[in-house]
Amino acid sequence: MIHGGIRVMFPNAAMDRVPVKYYQCWTVSRIKYPEVIPRTVQILLRLASDETSVVAKRALRASGRILRAALKWIASAAVVTTDMELAWTQLSALKVQIINMIDSDNDGIRTQAVKFLEGVILIQTYPDPDSPKKPDDFSLEDIPLTLKIARRRKLEEEANHVMDLLIKFHGSPHVSSVNLMTCMGSLALIAKMRPQFMSNVIQALQRLQHDLPPTLSDSQVTSVQKQLKLTLLGLMKHPASIEFASTIAKQLTQLGAKEQEIIKAYPKPEDVRRMKKRQQEIAATAAKRVKVEVIIDEAEATSVPAPKLPDLIELSESFIAERLSVEIATDLVMDSMAWVPDTMTTIFQREYQPTATTDINIQRQTIAKLLAIQIKQTKAKKNKRDKEEDAVMEDLIKNPTISVAEAKRERKREKDREKEKEAKASLEAHEKSLAKARNRTKALKLVEVTKPLPKEIKERMLLMAVNRILLSEKTAVFGGVATVRSKILTTLAATFNPYIKEAVLRYITDDMRNRLDLALGWLYEEYALLQGFQRRTTLCTKPQEAPHQAYNFLLCTLVSAIDLIQGKDRDALLSRLYLEAPLITEDAVEALKMVSSDETRGLAPLQLLKEMVVRRPTKQLVFLNVLLCHTGHENNTIREAAIQLVCQLYSRAELSKLIEEYAVLYLGFLRLHNPPEIVFGQDRGRPQIESLWSESTTRACLGLYLALLSEHQDLIHELARVYTSMGADVKRIVLRLVEGPVRSLGMGSPQLLALVENCPKGSETLVTRIIHILTEKSAPSAELVARVRELYQTRVSDVRFLIPVLNGLTKKEVIAALPKLIKLNPIVVKEVFNRLLGTHNNDSGVPHTSPITPAELLIALHSIDPSKAELKTVIKATSLCFAEKQAYTQETVAVVMQHLMEMTPLPTLLMRTVIQSLALYPRLSGFVMNILQRLILKQVWKQPKVWEGFVKCCERTQPQSFAVILQLPPAQLAEALRMANNLRAPLLAHVEAFAENQKAHIPQSIMDVIQGKVPCDMLDEFDIAPRGDYSNDQKPDTMEIDLSEPAPPGLD
Amino acid sequence: MPAPNSISVAVICSSNMNRSMEAHAFLSKKGFNVKSFGTGDKVKLPGTAPDRPNIYDFGTSYDEIYNDLLMKDKQYYTQNGLLHMLDRNRRIKPRPERFQMSKDKFDILITCEERVYDQVIECMESRTKEDNQPVHLINIDIQDNHEEATVGSFLICELVTVLANSEDLDNDIDELLHEFEAKFARTILHTVLFY
Repeated sequence: MIHGGIRVMFPNAAMDRVPVKYYQCWTVSRIKYPEVIPRTVQILLRLASDETSVVAKRALRASGRILRAALKWIASAAVVTTDMELAWTQLSALKVQIINMIDSDNDGIRTQAVKFLEGVILIQTYPDPDSPKKPDDFSLEDIPLTLKIARRRKLEEEANHVMDLLIKFHGSPHVSSVNLMTCMGSLALIAKMRPQFMSNVIQALQRLQHDLPPTLSDSQVTSVQKQLKLTLLGLMKHPASIEFASTIAKQLTQLGAKEQEIIKAYPKPEDVRRMKKRQQEIAATAAKRVKVEVIIDEAEATSVPAPKLPDLIELSESFIAERLSVEIATDLVMDSMAWVPDTMTTIFQREYQPTATTDINIQRQTIAKLLAIQIKQTKAKKNKRDKEEDAVMEDLIKNPTISVAEAKRERKREKDREKEKEAKASLEAHEKSLAKARNRTKALKLVEVTKPLPKEIKERMLLMAVNRILLSEKTAVFGGVATVRSKILTTLAATFNPYIKEAVLRYITDDMRNRLDLALGWLYEEYALLQGFQRRTTLCTKPQEAPHQAYNFLLCTLVSAIDLIQGKDRDALLSRLYLEAPLITEDAVEALKMVSSDETRGLAPLQLLKEMVVRRPTKQLVFLNVLLCHTGHENNTIREAAIQLVCQLYSRAELSKLIEEYAVLYLGFLRLHNPPEIVFGQDRGRPQIESLWSESTTRACLGLYLALLSEHQDLIHELARVYTSMGADVKRIVLRLVEGPVRSLGMGSPQLLALVENCPKGSETLVTRIIHILTEKSAPSAELVARVRELYQTRVSDVRFLIPVLNGLTKKEVIAALPKLIKLNPIVVKEVFNRLLGTHNNDSGVPHTSPITPAELLIALHSIDPSKAELKTVIKATSLCFAEKQAYTQETVAVVMQHLMEMTPLPTLLMRTVIQSLALYPRLSGFVMNILQRLILKQVWKQPKVWEGFVKCCERTQPQSFAVILQLPPAQLAEALRMANNLRAPLLAHVEAFAENQKAHIPQSIMDVIQGKVPCDMLDEFDIAPRGDYSNDQKPDTMEIDLSEPAPPGLD
Repeated sequence: MPAPNSISVAVICSSNMNRSMEAHAFLSKKGFNVKSFGTGDKVKLPGTAPDRPNIYDFGTSYDEIYNDLLMKDKQYYTQNGLLHMLDRNRRIKPRPERFQMSKDKFDILITCEERVYDQVIECMESRTKEDNQPVHLINIDIQDNHEEATVGSFLICELVTVLANSEDLDNDIDELLHEFEAKFARTILHTVLFY
């Protein structure tokens, strides 16, 4: 009805596709609502014969399912309704129809028909009690014995018939390759699900192999043979095929299967054992039943395969084939002639197939096979039942064409009859034994009897297992499997869940000293996963996790675990970890940085850093950077240690450039107004940012640079360049810091000399400082002096440059520079004089050499042109000289005075110096008198300043000076007395005290002046007259007296 | 010509990388309803040395494999075409699929080597039968390299086109395959399996 409608709507090709979906739904609905089965079966009946192949095929497929559904439905119903009966009748009709369709013209329909038949057989036979029941399986067992419309016996009979049909179809000579393979598959499936057919199927397959349909093309033959091979291999694996194993193996070899494949498919020994046991059990059960049942057909005994059945068909077959001579054949024919019935039996008619080939050997094989089967059956019977041996033989020989299958069928029929007769007790006994057998063999397939454990339990068990492995350390070592243990642990830790990681990690950190090897093993495992040497199992992959997360975490945890250890092992463990780990992550570098900047850890971590730079070339720069960072650390110890290590590394060619650049970069920071932020922070030991440069920050920027200076002197120029733009505070600090390195460079350094020579503008203070440092302890080298001189003369005329090298200059140069020098800050001037006079700094042991003697210096001071230096400055300078009593001894001073006096004109400060000398050395008074006398000769009054001094000196040195004063011409005397009022009275007293003859020597004019009588004007020429004759007499006397006499009191 | 996409095809090779994907690409370009699979335990790709192949689990995406190889040796894998192939694959679908894991039903299964053919049969026979829907399994031997894969994809397309045009495939297939074999001088294996 429905179908008809659809046909009208889709008359042609469209019909092919449309019902496809439709039927699908339909089938499902039938299974869900069994009530509709009767109606649908009817429709199916018609559809199955539809002329469109697609429709028919679909109908066939649906029929297979509906047959099952219908049987289920009927079997489960409490009361059989008329609906059911009707449906069943129709179904039977459908079955017949489909069985006939196996001869359809359409290949596809035939294929589906075969599959339908396969279904029929499976549904209508008993399942193998040995194999576990599949949940969806429906079989004869599920049909109640009491069901009238579908008797078990009848159904099984039908199934056996269909099976024969299928085997026949399988062996038919013109079957197409598709059908053949379908059929083969169906047979194999049936054999596996219903092992009672195993032997039939295997025989069918054997026949096929010997006699392939001639219609197949070459490639189809290949396909079929291949299918056959696979089918046989599949069957061989099934335990029910054990008896045929060697036969199948032989067949497989012929088909070109490899030895290995066959061996692999060979049933396992325990399967064989189990199979044999089962056979024995079944035999035993059967034997028991024999006792209970009174009337038993002889054929029934054969239903149970004999427990000991050594002969295989194949074996006896070849045995016979070998011995089947013409004579024996003739004898056999002659003997059996008597038993041949008069009319041909139907069975013979149906089953006998004349051999197609003319090959005598193949014919012989066929006959041998037939005989073998018969002999086998005979033998089986003989074993079972000796009594009836003759009868059986007779029976078989009487009807040689009877097949094994037929015998079985006969037997089953009998058995069913028995069962129906039997009381329920026997049935229950049977069921029980079956159930028993099933229980015993249930464990066959692990997959079906086991259930996956819940995740938590699995994880807990895993963790427990890991803990056991962890605890078994000693045992593993004794057993010599320590490495295996460690491999297991590391693999588990690396690939399983975090709990395991945690457990292993805790175990390692508990005793880091002894378990570092394990830790390293784990690290390598993680590394291998990270690098993809090993694929991470999907078990624990976290896609959102960074690839090196696990590795990094582990490494850092280990580092911090080591950090907690107390004692000297700590450093050794740390360096082992860092040096052996396959990869040092950034975080691990950071951790090491922290550790190494901790003073309490000592210098070992710093040393480790250096090792890392040397031994881990790929991360060299990273570690170098850390080390460089520490060269600017606040803490002195760390900074100095780091600088020292970097200097050691500096000798490595590949690093020197880098270190240098770093040092120069930091040096450059000193130009900034404020210290850069980079030198602050926890890692530098300066958590607070400061806005002004301090000694610490300056050191941070300069430390490494200065350390490098001694290695690489070129760098000094950079300092000079940067220096020019530094702030004043920084400059001061730099000047202080630079002392050590510069001193270590020494005066010989060509780079220093070059710096002095090129002294950039603005860096004068630095250069001066450098020269100072250089010359502080030793005399300047000629080289240095030359450079400084050059610089002074050509470019920078700052006299301060000259100070350090004064001692290296010539006398002339020193004298030339003197006016400028004495103008400097008093402290500097003092320093200058110290240098020149060799006082105060002569502790180096080197004899002091000066271009100028103290006397010369003092003389030079006196001869400074007043236009070049103020008198005051010069006075100060001379005072400084006089302060150096060591240099300016009495003799020196005398020499100086002598020299000065001879100068023309007389130096302005002459008399000041004389007075000072006298104050210093009172013993010089005689000498001074001498000088004074000579000054008179030089007409000292012509130079007012000196004259003033002269008078002052006379004033101070009275009464010795009276003799000198008296020698002055009257005009000058008068002037002198006017200038020094308090001179007159003593002088007068002195003259008065003269003896008369002495008085006579004094000219009257002089006396007048002394007495204040005549202020008269004196003439020059007059003055000169008495000088000549006077001085010569007086001088030696005075000298002698003065030198020997102690200084008069009041003159000190 | 009936709509070619009404027939569903699966192309199967070992790793679902080269041969099956080449054919997949080609067939889907022609408008067929096609999927591709591998039957191996793992996805295997040649490595830098014959004894060091790159092995991945089924489930690893083409993209991941691509990046992995890129990281390992970009130049080498560019030169031998693997990266190009993976790039093509990841445009077609996200990851290699294993035939044994698939629940799809097809009309035609095409395998690229005999071992794969065997594995498909084994897999199909171990399944519980549902409704006996037939499926044709056809094997065309294709060597596992880029050139042969391209040639193979043409052949497969040719074959699938012929089969798709058949009014009653189940009935005609023997003949069609025979013609195909004669035309291209190739030996093919064929069997029918059931879902």
